Amino acid sequence: MLQCIFLLSDSGEVMLEKQLTGHRVDRSICDWFWEQAVSQGDSFKQLPVVASPTHYLFQVFREGITFLACTQVEMPPLMGIEFLCRVADVLNDYLGGLNEDLIKDNFVIVYELLDEMIDNGFPLTTEPNILQEMIAPPNIVSKMLSVVTGNSSNVSDVLPGATASRVPWRTADAKYANNEVYVDLVEEMDAIISRDGVLVKCEINGEVQVNSHITGIPDLTLSFANPSILDDVRFHRCVRFRPWESHQVLSFVPPDGQFKLMSYRVRKLKSTPIYVKPQLTSDGGTCRVNVMVGIRNDPGKTIDSVTVQFILPPCVLSADLTSNHGTVNIFSDKTCTWSIGRIPKDKAPSMTGTLVLENGLERLHVFPTFRVGFRIMGVALSGLQIEKLDLLKSVPYRFYKGFRALTQAGEFEVRS
Amino acid sequence: MFPQFGATAESLSKASTLVFRIGTDAHLYDDPEDVNIAPLLDSKFDSEKCEALKRLLALIAQGFDVANFFPQVVKNVASQSLEVKKLVYLYLLHYAEKRPNEALLSINCFQKDLGDPNPLVRAWALRAMAGIRLHAIAPLVLVAVRKCARDPSIYVRKCAANALPKLHDLRLEEHTSAIEEIVGLLLNDNSPEVVGAAASAFATVCPDNFLLLGRKFRRLCEVLPDVEEWGQIILIGILLRYVIARHGLVKESIMFSLCQEKDWSSGKTVSEDDEQDFTVKEGAYGSGGTLSELANMIFHCYIERPDEYLSRSSSPNKGFPKLEASQFSSSSNDDVKILLQCTSPLLWSNNSAVVLAAAGVHWIMASQDNVKKIVKPLLFVLRSSYASRFVVLCNIQVFAKAMPSLFVAHYEDFFIHSSDSYQIKALKLEMLSAIATESSVPFILKEFQDYIKDPDRRFAADTVAAIGLCAQRIPKMANACLEWLLTLIKHELVCSGTQSVVGEDGVLLQAITSIKSIIKLDPPSYEKVIILLVRSLDTIKVPAARAMIIWMMGEYCSLGEIIPRLLSTVLKYLAWCFASEALETKLQILNAIAKVILCTKKDDIGSLQRVLSYAVELAENDLNYDIRDRSHFVKKLFSRNLESQQNEEEENDKSQNRDLSYVLAQCIFGGQTKTVTVPSEPINSRFYLPGSLSQIVFHAAPGYEPLPKPSSLPYNELDQYDGAASGEFNEDDPDASGSLDEESASDYSSEHSYTGSSDVSHSDETVSGHQDNHNTDPLIQISDTANGGKNQNGVSHPDTADFGDLLSTRALESWLDEPPALSTESTMEQGRARRSSARITIGNIRSRVKTKCYMLLDPANGNGLKVNYSFSSEASSITPQLICLDLFFENCSLESLSDIVLIDEDSSKGSDSANQTSLSVESTSNTDIPTLVSMEEISSLEPGQTEKRTLQVHFHHHLLPRKLALFCSGKKFPVKLRPDIGYFVKPLPISVEDFRDKESHLRGMFEYVRSCTFTDHIEELNKDNNSLTKDNFLVICESIAVKMLSNANVSLVSVDMPVTTNLDDASGLCLRFSGEILSNSMPCLLTVTVEGKCSDPLSISVKVNCEETVFGLNFLNRVVNFLAEQCHTQS
Repeated sequence: MLQCIFLLSDSGEVMLEKQLTGHRVDRSICDWFWEQAVSQGDSFKQLPVVASPTHYLFQVFREGITFLACTQVEMPPLMGIEFLCRVADVLNDYLGGLNEDLIKDNFVIVYELLDEMIDNGFPLTTEPNILQEMIAPPNIVSKMLSVVTGNSSNVSDVLPGATASRVPWRTADAKYANNEVYVDLVEEMDAIISRDGVLVKCEINGEVQVNSHITGIPDLTLSFANPSILDDVRFHRCVRFRPWESHQVLSFVPPDGQFKLMSYRVRKLKSTPIYVKPQLTSDGGTCRVNVMVGIRNDPGKTIDSVTVQFILPPCVLSADLTSNHGTVNIFSDKTCTWSIGRIPKDKAPSMTGTLVLENGLERLHVFPTFRVGFRIMGVALSGLQIEKLDLLKSVPYRFYKGFRALTQAGEFEVRS
Repeated sequence: MFPQFGATAESLSKASTLVFRIGTDAHLYDDPEDVNIAPLLDSKFDSEKCEALKRLLALIAQGFDVANFFPQVVKNVASQSLEVKKLVYLYLLHYAEKRPNEALLSINCFQKDLGDPNPLVRAWALRAMAGIRLHAIAPLVLVAVRKCARDPSIYVRKCAANALPKLHDLRLEEHTSAIEEIVGLLLNDNSPEVVGAAASAFATVCPDNFLLLGRKFRRLCEVLPDVEEWGQIILIGILLRYVIARHGLVKESIMFSLCQEKDWSSGKTVSEDDEQDFTVKEGAYGSGGTLSELANMIFHCYIERPDEYLSRSSSPNKGFPKLEASQFSSSSNDDVKILLQCTSPLLWSNNSAVVLAAAGVHWIMASQDNVKKIVKPLLFVLRSSYASRFVVLCNIQVFAKAMPSLFVAHYEDFFIHSSDSYQIKALKLEMLSAIATESSVPFILKEFQDYIKDPDRRFAADTVAAIGLCAQRIPKMANACLEWLLTLIKHELVCSGTQSVVGEDGVLLQAITSIKSIIKLDPPSYEKVIILLVRSLDTIKVPAARAMIIWMMGEYCSLGEIIPRLLSTVLKYLAWCFASEALETKLQILNAIAKVILCTKKDDIGSLQRVLSYAVELAENDLNYDIRDRSHFVKKLFSRNLESQQNEEEENDKSQNRDLSYVLAQCIFGGQTKTVTVPSEPINSRFYLPGSLSQIVFHAAPGYEPLPKPSSLPYNELDQYDGAASGEFNEDDPDASGSLDEESASDYSSEHSYTGSSDVSHSDETVSGHQDNHNTDPLIQISDTANGGKNQNGVSHPDTADFGDLLSTRALESWLDEPPALSTESTMEQGRARRSSARITIGNIRSRVKTKCYMLLDPANGNGLKVNYSFSSEASSITPQLICLDLFFENCSLESLSDIVLIDEDSSKGSDSANQTSLSVESTSNTDIPTLVSMEEISSLEPGQTEKRTLQVHFHHHLLPRKLALFCSGKKFPVKLRPDIGYFVKPLPISVEDFRDKESHLRGMFEYVRSCTFTDHIEELNKDNNSLTKDNFLVICESIAVKMLSNANVSLVSVDMPVTTNLDDASGLCLRFSGEILSNSMPCLLTVTVEGKCSDPLSISVKVNCEETVFGLNFLNRVVNFLAEQCHTQS
């Protein structure tokens, strides 16, 4: 089981340490870790499991903060990693972001949260809704209150009712004047377009996000018009397995508030909404770049937040890139971003320019991969459709249902 | 409020960040020591305490040692504010181990908090108390955990489960069984949340205690989907281990089929549907044998401990131990089926660790067709968080190695994104080359071509290596791959012609390595490729690559038509540029020349020899000693050989003049490399269970346990246990916290036959040698038949009444406050169907009591003097605190012994005169209690003579052995007197009413229950099986009573017997005993309740009510121990 959790800042400073068991872990392990991270560079940062001379370390890296957990004995590594991810998510929710200052400013809350989330190295309460009832998140009101009165406790005096109920993920006594459920389909499109311009792989990874505010303990059923297109699914723990197995219906008692009901995957899509065509020709120590972007299949809604990003190969000395639409930025780490925004109707946006290669290099022999970003509101590109959402029992109150869909680019790559 | 405000407000930007930080604890973290913390801690305002504690916490977070505040902080543990409490606990747990003495100060507060009506307070108190880790308080923690394990709040029970590993961690051997008992109890809990935590406790405390799981298995499987995610991970592992130990491996699983395939050596016995499954694979990989061997090894690794592995690999016979047929069971086995059924929905879990754990179960247990189930979920998990991707991919890789056919169709999922980390890219490449088939390889190669242009050259080099692997796996593609590699080399040479770009060398080197391995497959057909490479020697600058080409030339020098003709030119060229080469190239040049000379025909030998001598000469003067060594070596080998060949030029037949050095040279340089079809997999590497940490770090992490040996759990052991269990079930019900689903429990028990009774009755020798007394039947007095009367209302059958209030389903009030509880209970009692019970009096039970004898001195050690002792039930005449012992001296030697005396070790040191007896009494009599009132001296003991003496000892209420010195014939023998807590009490004869009255005052923390199995009566029953005169119940009562009275100095108060139950069911039988603690005359009440069938081992629950908690607990443990003790061990 986990013995200790450290939170490290961007510069390797130990911001927080939480010992979990009687076997204390000295924080010198962090020094070792940081030395390795500095000497081995990025590839070490991305190694989730590290065997140090004294401990096994699990690391999760989020927005500049390294969550480090130590253990000395065999345990499922994914358990450690998933837990750290959960800690990161919860802290993100609580603090409204993650960075060094936020952690330091709210270190007491972080301690209190960690103490509730893990006991003796084994996760205790990880349900975000329940945690929020036990330890109040910092908000403007509580902050102001603490300024005015000089003290305020963020620790709840009572155990959340949910811990005792059959549905440990839901508050027992939720009461709302307006009962409403919002269901969002949020999809990410992963695609690989090869150097020949062939669509090698295109799939959708989607999530059904629900925001529910319903009085009492509602029992909901959600069904899709075309569940057969789903290649694979994963559920929030509130979803009952049986109804899904037998007739692919989601039956669940929702947690209160925002949560991820299920994630799904639709494979082997045939087309992408936009095209990106990079052309690189090089000779005589320079390289001409020309990237064209346009709409391939109009999804019927506006495509916005279109970006094209690539990393200049190390052998490129300098780059001069301009576009006829949007802005091009080249950062010091050789990342080049072309923000297009909305694709105009009248012209096809394009970016052109030259790259100057290293001395002695005649032609470019390595080619960057272009990462594309976009966002389409109101459409689920996988084609998944929600058929209906019902409350199982008839209830005395009316409840409103809302459905939305959103597709954005995930790992959408165009090779050149 | 904002100490830093004035100092830092110069700049606007800083001020604006301050606005955001208002109200947070930022200033505490930035400057924790800017005020004096100590006075704040002593403040009477909670807010100031809070601030001080937060400052301390900030210091802890920053790595400062603030343990010196410990005493002040501990004081605040009594605070009513929950926030202060929480902060104190956080501080306390951080430092408790450093400051054990001060930590003890907080115990009283925890004890108080444990009785708090707020479950949150109880849970926190328990967590903090268990986290303190002090041996001194471990018994108290155990009591607290036991209490909390029956708490009405799920959260508290969950915390109780989490506290068990903390206790276990202290390595308290004496409490192990108690801890395991609580684990069992919590595993039975009706809340899935608790079961999850209990599973984790089980995995830490007693992972091999499969007996504990036996009867819970089905319930655990059924509850699995409802358990919280973290518990699921652990529980899946536990259940898998149990099934393996109980039923062995599954016949239909791939594990078995692959083992079979190997056993039958040629893979012929694969059944038909397997064949379909494997057709792709067989076609693709040529030799299925190697693959299945690998899979076979993987599975053997799963059940092999590291020490076994080491012994196997070091022994000459490297074969795997064969698995016997008995170690397999079929998938139609119910337990296997239910496990697979209950884990398959978990493949949809949101938690990747759960998915992987569930996939592991299917991988090991599921039949071939069902294993496919795990593929999609595993691949979907690949899209979860970045960190978990790597771990999942590592595991998928092992699966794919053993059974590539699983992933063949999903090659697209392993295509590489530019955002993948290098480790993931490498793993994906390996996967792609491992699962490539003829149909998919064109697509995969196309992908590879894209990868080679990636700016990350390390990755590009790996890709080239992967191409080589693909070509070897699918020989049909070899030509295409080769061609493509050659163009790559050409391209590379052009690109890096002028300047070597970092990483470019690696790509080139890999390309040539891959070409080399492809050529190895079928050298003759690739003659042109070799020539091409040799010709490019001029342009290839990378030393390692050059060395490899030169090696190839040497190796294949006799191949085909053209190469031999080229040789002399090439060698001349090599010798010419020898001096400018790098180390490895130089070595290869020497080797290559040697090889060429060995197999070349005579006509060229002259020029070749000149080349050789030129090169050797250069090498001899090289700066590097490796090269000088090599040159000497080559020179020595070839000088004689070449001379002889020259001298006897006329002789054609080589074999004649083949002298020793030639043979040697042939052996060293001419060894033809065998054509290897499949690259030898790292077959020596170890594999570990899927999802384990060891699998990721490639060594057995501490605490790694392979699967238990298949079918290692003996059937009869379990069956016997089941038999006992069936009797225990009813008892189990009230015992479990929360209402156990009785339906399912009885359902399960009914499936097992009761073989227990016949098994246990093995010994004919009797326990208590009082068979003659059997005819004297005890006197029965039915004193109270209808027990629903007014005065005895609510207590008529203590089993339900007493355990009733332990039920966590009851309202909290009944648990915490006794008086109202009694009234509610009694009304409930009346509401229930009344079971009447009869009271029996067993008359002459005292006469049958035989106390146990312990050996004090062995005749072998004591010069022939044998001394036994037993505790006597008499009270001491001097002071009640002394415990009387009977000593039996026996002279086993042939000579007479004299002056035998037993004295206290300490006092013997003080006085050395022979007459300590009187002295010791006198000297100790001034202190309030003598430690040892010695016996009178035995002046002489003749051979064979036996003497009895009485000794009175004061154990000071300790359970430690008392060291005494025994003097005999002038010699001193140190002896140890072990106290028996059963005799730290004296009988307290009271009436049943008094008993109940006292009992009702000793509830709550003063009451402990434990249960055990009792078997003594079975023998008694079997002894007079056919005599109908004897009543089963009486026999049971008697045997329990005798056992109790023989081992503890208590008095029998009453025996209650149920009347309405059927004759065979002993449930409801209840015996009460009472005693008084010697040292402080506090009453100590014992209630023994029986459950189960007469003829089976009975499940007995013993309850102690005693004001002195520690004593009561120890006493209870003692009682349970001797009741559960097998009768024949009693002497």
